[in-house]
Amino acid sequence: MLKINNVSKIYLKGKDKFTALQDVSLEVEKSDFLAVVGPSGSGKSTLLHLVGGLIQPDSGQVLFRGNDVYKMNSKEANRYRTKNVGFVFQQFHLIPYLTVYENIKIAETESERKNGKIEALLEKCALLPLKNKYPSELSVGEKQRTAFVRAIISEPEILLADEPTGNLDPENSKILMTLIKEFNEDGGTVLLVSHEPETTNYATKIITLRSGKRV
Amino acid sequence: MNPLKLVFKELFYRKVSSLIILVTVIAAGTVSVAVYTLSKASENETRKIMREQGLNLYIFPKGTNLIDFYSVNNTSTFPEHYIDTLAESKTFDAVRHLTGILQLKYPNWVDPNGSKHQIVVMGYKDEAMQRFLSKQETMGFDVEKGTVHIGALLSVNIPEGENFTIAGTDGKQYEFKVAKRLEEGKGMLDQGVAFNLTDLQQVLDMKGQINKIEALGCVCHDGRIKNARGQLQDIFSDLEVTEVSSIANARENQRLMMNKYGSFIIPFVLIVSLLISGLLFYSNVNSRKYEIGILKAMGKSKSYILFMILFKAFVIGLLGSLAGFFAGSFIAEYFGKEIFRFTAMSIKPLWSLLGYSVFIFPILWMLASWVPALLATQIDAAKTLSKE
Ligand SMILES: Nc1ncnc2c1ncn2[C@@H]1O[C@H](COP(=O)(O)OP(=O)(O)OP(=O)(O)O)[C@@H](O)[C@H]1O
Ligand SMILES: [Mg+2]
Repeated sequence: MLKINNVSKIYLKGKDKFTALQDVSLEVEKSDFLAVVGPSGSGKSTLLHLVGGLIQPDSGQVLFRGNDVYKMNSKEANRYRTKNVGFVFQQFHLIPYLTVYENIKIAETESERKNGKIEALLEKCALLPLKNKYPSELSVGEKQRTAFVRAIISEPEILLADEPTGNLDPENSKILMTLIKEFNEDGGTVLLVSHEPETTNYATKIITLRSGKRV
Repeated sequence: MNPLKLVFKELFYRKVSSLIILVTVIAAGTVSVAVYTLSKASENETRKIMREQGLNLYIFPKGTNLIDFYSVNNTSTFPEHYIDTLAESKTFDAVRHLTGILQLKYPNWVDPNGSKHQIVVMGYKDEAMQRFLSKQETMGFDVEKGTVHIGALLSVNIPEGENFTIAGTDGKQYEFKVAKRLEEGKGMLDQGVAFNLTDLQQVLDMKGQINKIEALGCVCHDGRIKNARGQLQDIFSDLEVTEVSSIANARENQRLMMNKYGSFIIPFVLIVSLLISGLLFYSNVNSRKYEIGILKAMGKSKSYILFMILFKAFVIGLLGSLAGFFAGSFIAEYFGKEIFRFTAMSIKPLWSLLGYSVFIFPILWMLASWVPALLATQIDAAKTLSKE
């Protein structure tokens, strides 16, 4: 379903070139749960952003169902980001002036809109009573679950999670990972970046990056 | 979710920053509206004062001795059709309300009782329509054919209801209906009679002749009389212009100064407040980096993000223009009453300005937010979202 062919990404740091990813190839099938591990600075987030259509690789391709994500026109690319992938970040990135419900609503696409769908997901994530609360009124676990619902509301094929439990206590981590695992078991594909073994245990495949290379 | 809702929620969430931008719009609106309203008031007052002064430019044949002019009965004359030539001229626009006059001393007028008087007779031609200038209310004396207006001092010699008779150069007696008895204080005319020009020309056997044009120096940019002089010389080198009112001049200068201030202050205030707003929008975009990043990661288009910022600017511009209009009009009314005595009562909100304000200000503020909005669309989602 997702094929990454020999991608490289070079950042310019002042005058120096920094190779964040070098010649990385990878294949992900539907319903895979892939964990990406590696030391800090090894290029894990960069890989996830590449898959999410957020950064142009310097060489190589990212193919989703055979279509090159970086050869799409802007409309197709927006559609890809809306419908095919969903992001969960370590820092939640909820919009502070929108309620829990609105933060999710804004990510919902017209075509996927169904009455009660948001409520059902909120219910499942134990967020329904907090529906009209603002992010500042939530605990970190609640924030991350809101971000998770936001990521999957448009029923993406691939969930991209970049250290989603990085700011959570063990209990909340476990709740979130269970939800992610359920998403996976329902047929969703997961790409997860993590340092923690408790988290990577949920994965069915693990790849390791070191200095931008797959090892 | 409706993007409008998003804009309003953000606007209220960042109250202080939104309010500061709003204040800059209001300040700009207030100053612009107040200054504009006052300069319009000043213009109106000048017009009014100049009107009260009467026609302030006299055009005579060259070499006319002004001391003699009022006391002799044979000044040099020029053809009445000169006026038509002037009125038809495209270049002759520094002077308005062209009124052709024939004015002479009439030494031996006999009143109904048989006593003789020295009087002044004046024939007024209807004000000329200047073809290339906008129409306006006439200022000149309109004396209907077959009638006269008689001066206050002369008036006592003619009983109510009686006609005015005068001997013509041809020896015949001419009779005119008294259409008006003028009040005192008309200068020369207190001791005189105003005719329709054609009537007087017939009485004096001076068909087609006039010896003076009275006019109003235009309310124009600089050197009113200089302009008028130059323009007249180009057409009739045998005529010359004399200015009779210096008060009008002072007024005119005051008004011009006001206009100058206005044309400096309004753009200055607008530019400064637009720059400040631009910076505030920039800082707003900066503090929204994450949320814009996440919107992009969600697949929202650039136009969505552009709209989000521009619409906010539009809303603030609109609110600010309304508040600015009312504040500016209030200030103009409050202070204007002190400054402009004559027109004090007529300083009113210029409602047409409201239309312009609510149209122009939102557009200006959208322009001010344009660069920040473009920068917002360029935000690198990957970079902002992976930052700790
Ligand atoms: N926009 C950027 N400009 C310049 N350098 C960048 C940029 N983004 C990432 N890098 C660099 O690329 C390298 C890889 O970054 P990346 O975020 O992918 O690492 P990571 O494996 O996710 O690290 P961590 O575990 O700390 O999150 C790092 O050295 C980082 O400094
Ligand atoms: Mg990272």
